[in-house]
Amino acid sequence: MSEIEQMLNNRKQELDQIEVPEEMEARLSDALTKRADKKINRSWKKLIAVACLTVLLAGYNFDALAFYGKKLIGYDQVLNGTLKQLNELGKGQLIGKTHTFKNGTSVILDGVMLDDNQLLAFYTAKDPKGKVDDIGLRVSLKGFLKEYFMSGHGVMNDEKTEIKWVASFEPPLFLEKTFDLQMVLNEGNKSETGQITFKLDRSKAMGYTLKQSLNKTIEIDGSSIHFDTISASPTSTAVNGSIQNIVELAKDQLTGERIRPGALKLRLIANGKEVASQSGGMSTDLKGITFHQEFDALPSDLTSLNIKLESFAADHDINQEINLQKTLHDLEVDIEGQSIVINKLHESNGDTYITITTKDTTVLKRVHLIMDQNRVDLEETINNSYNKLVNDGVMHTRTLHFKGTGETYRLDLERMTYKKVYNKTINITLK
Amino acid sequence: MNTITLVKKAKDGDKDALVELIMAQKKDYYKLAFIYMKNKEDALDAMEDMIVILYENIHRLKDEGAFYRWSKTILSNCCKRLLRDKKRVVPLAEIKEDASEVGYGQKDNQIMLDQYLSSLSDKHQEIIKLRYILDLDYQSISDLLKIPLGTVKSRIYTALAHLKKNFGGDRYE
Repeated sequence: MSEIEQMLNNRKQELDQIEVPEEMEARLSDALTKRADKKINRSWKKLIAVACLTVLLAGYNFDALAFYGKKLIGYDQVLNGTLKQLNELGKGQLIGKTHTFKNGTSVILDGVMLDDNQLLAFYTAKDPKGKVDDIGLRVSLKGFLKEYFMSGHGVMNDEKTEIKWVASFEPPLFLEKTFDLQMVLNEGNKSETGQITFKLDRSKAMGYTLKQSLNKTIEIDGSSIHFDTISASPTSTAVNGSIQNIVELAKDQLTGERIRPGALKLRLIANGKEVASQSGGMSTDLKGITFHQEFDALPSDLTSLNIKLESFAADHDINQEINLQKTLHDLEVDIEGQSIVINKLHESNGDTYITITTKDTTVLKRVHLIMDQNRVDLEETINNSYNKLVNDGVMHTRTLHFKGTGETYRLDLERMTYKKVYNKTINITLK
Repeated sequence: MNTITLVKKAKDGDKDALVELIMAQKKDYYKLAFIYMKNKEDALDAMEDMIVILYENIHRLKDEGAFYRWSKTILSNCCKRLLRDKKRVVPLAEIKEDASEVGYGQKDNQIMLDQYLSSLSDKHQEIIKLRYILDLDYQSISDLLKIPLGTVKSRIYTALAHLKKNFGGDRYE
C-alpha cells in the first residue's frame, strides 16, 4: 500500500510542477469568440422566435391589454377634470397612428373615447418647424355612411412644435365601425390630404349614466321652451329641447310674428352645484327650432338635478310705427315689455338724427324713418355710449342717422332683439 | 480587480473578464483537467468546452463568490463528457506492452500507478486522483462533484480498500 501511496505522491509532485500551456489564454479566448458567439446567435434566433410569438399573442389581445393598462399620455393640460379621470382609469381606445405630410407636418391620432353623447378623438398636430399655430389643418371624421365634423379645443406647447387636440364629434351611427380621420393641410395655395384609418372598438364605449325624457315647458314671450331629453354619459351631459315645432314656426311666419332665437342661457345644477357648461347650439330646420346644450359629466352620487332657464334672447317681429314730434323729449315707448326711450330728434345739415336709449341687450333691427310718406333707410348708428346701471344691466344710448328731413316723422320698427331674464327652474325627477 | 467585480462583468457579457477569471487560477483548472484527460491537448479542449458553457450560463450564477466552485464542477463534467463521448477511456491494461517498450524508470512507475488505478471503477479512480494527486480536501471534492461529504469519505475509503485488496497484500506490508 505504501508503494501506491508513494506513486500517488510522486504523481502529485509531478502535477504540481506541470507547466500551464502558454496558449491556454489564447485558446480560451478563441473558444469564446468562435463557439460562444455561434451559440449566442442560436439563442438570438430563439429570442426572435419568442419575440414574434409575444407580438402575435399580445397583438391579438392588444385591445384588451390597452384597456386594462393604458391611458393617453401628455393630454393633462388639455383635458378637463372629467376626461382626466376617465383617462386615468384607462377608458377609451388607444390608436397611436401617425400621418406625416410632405412638408414634415404630422398628425398622431393617439386615441378615441366613445359614449352615448359624443366621440372624442385625441390627436396631436406636430410641426418640426415650430410654427404649429400657423398650419392650416382641417380635420373631420369620415365613416362609411356619414361624415362627422369636429368641434374641440387644443393646447400648444411653448416651442410651438405641437398642439394636443381633443376633438368632439357627434356619436357615430351604430353601424359605423371603420373610420378615417380626414385631414386637409392647406399651405399657401396648395392643399394636401391625408387620412388615418382606425376601427372603432364599441366594446369600449362607455354608454350613458342617465338618460330620460324631460317633457317640461317654460313659457316665454310669444312662445315656449320645451325641454325634451337629458342624456348624461361619462364624458358629458346633453340637454335637448325645442322652442317651436314646425307647425308653430309656420304659423308665426304667416302671421308675421316670428321669433328668431338668439342666446339661450341654461344652467345645469346637480346636487346643488352648477355643472360647467361646455357648448351649445340651436338650429332651425324642418324639425322646427331645436336647441342642445352640453355640460360636463354629472357627479356619480347624483341626488338632485335642476335645469335653470336664466335668460333667453330672441329676434322678434314687432312691426310697430311710432309717431315722433320734432319737439319730443325722452319719449318712452314700451314694446313687448321692453322700454325704448327716444331722447330727442334734431335736424342738422339737412339730415335727421334720433337719439334713443335701451338696455344694451335690446337691439332694433330693420329700422326706417318715414318722413312725409318717404321711407328712409337707416344710414348709420353713431355716438354710442353705455351707462352701467346701479341695479342690473347696462343702458345703451345711440344716435340713429337718417338722410334728409321732413315735416312729419314716424319711426318704423320691424324687428327687435331683446334678452329677457327668466330665472325659472325645472326639477328633474331622477328615475 | 476582485473576483466579484469580474464575475459581474462576465455576467454582463464581458468575455475578457471571464478569461481573466480563469487565468487567475489557471494552474488549478489545468491540473484538474489534466488528471482527467492525461494530456495537454485534451485538457485544453475540456477547458474550451468549459469556458463556453460558463459564458452561456453565468447569468444563472446567483452567488458571485461561488464562481470558482461552480466553474470547476463544470470543468470536471466537461472532462468526463469528453472522455465518454470520444470513447478515449482506453483501459491501460491493453497498452501494457507499449508501455514496457518505453523502458523502466519513472515512466514505469507512472504506468504501474495507472495500471493500479485502472483496476478501479471510474468514480473511484476519479476520487483517488482528486484526493491524492490533486490534493483536494474532502470539502472541495464534495463541492466539485456535487456529492455529500459523507459520500466523498466513504468513496475514498472503498477505493483505497480496493487498491489494498488488489495490489496491497502481504508483499508490501
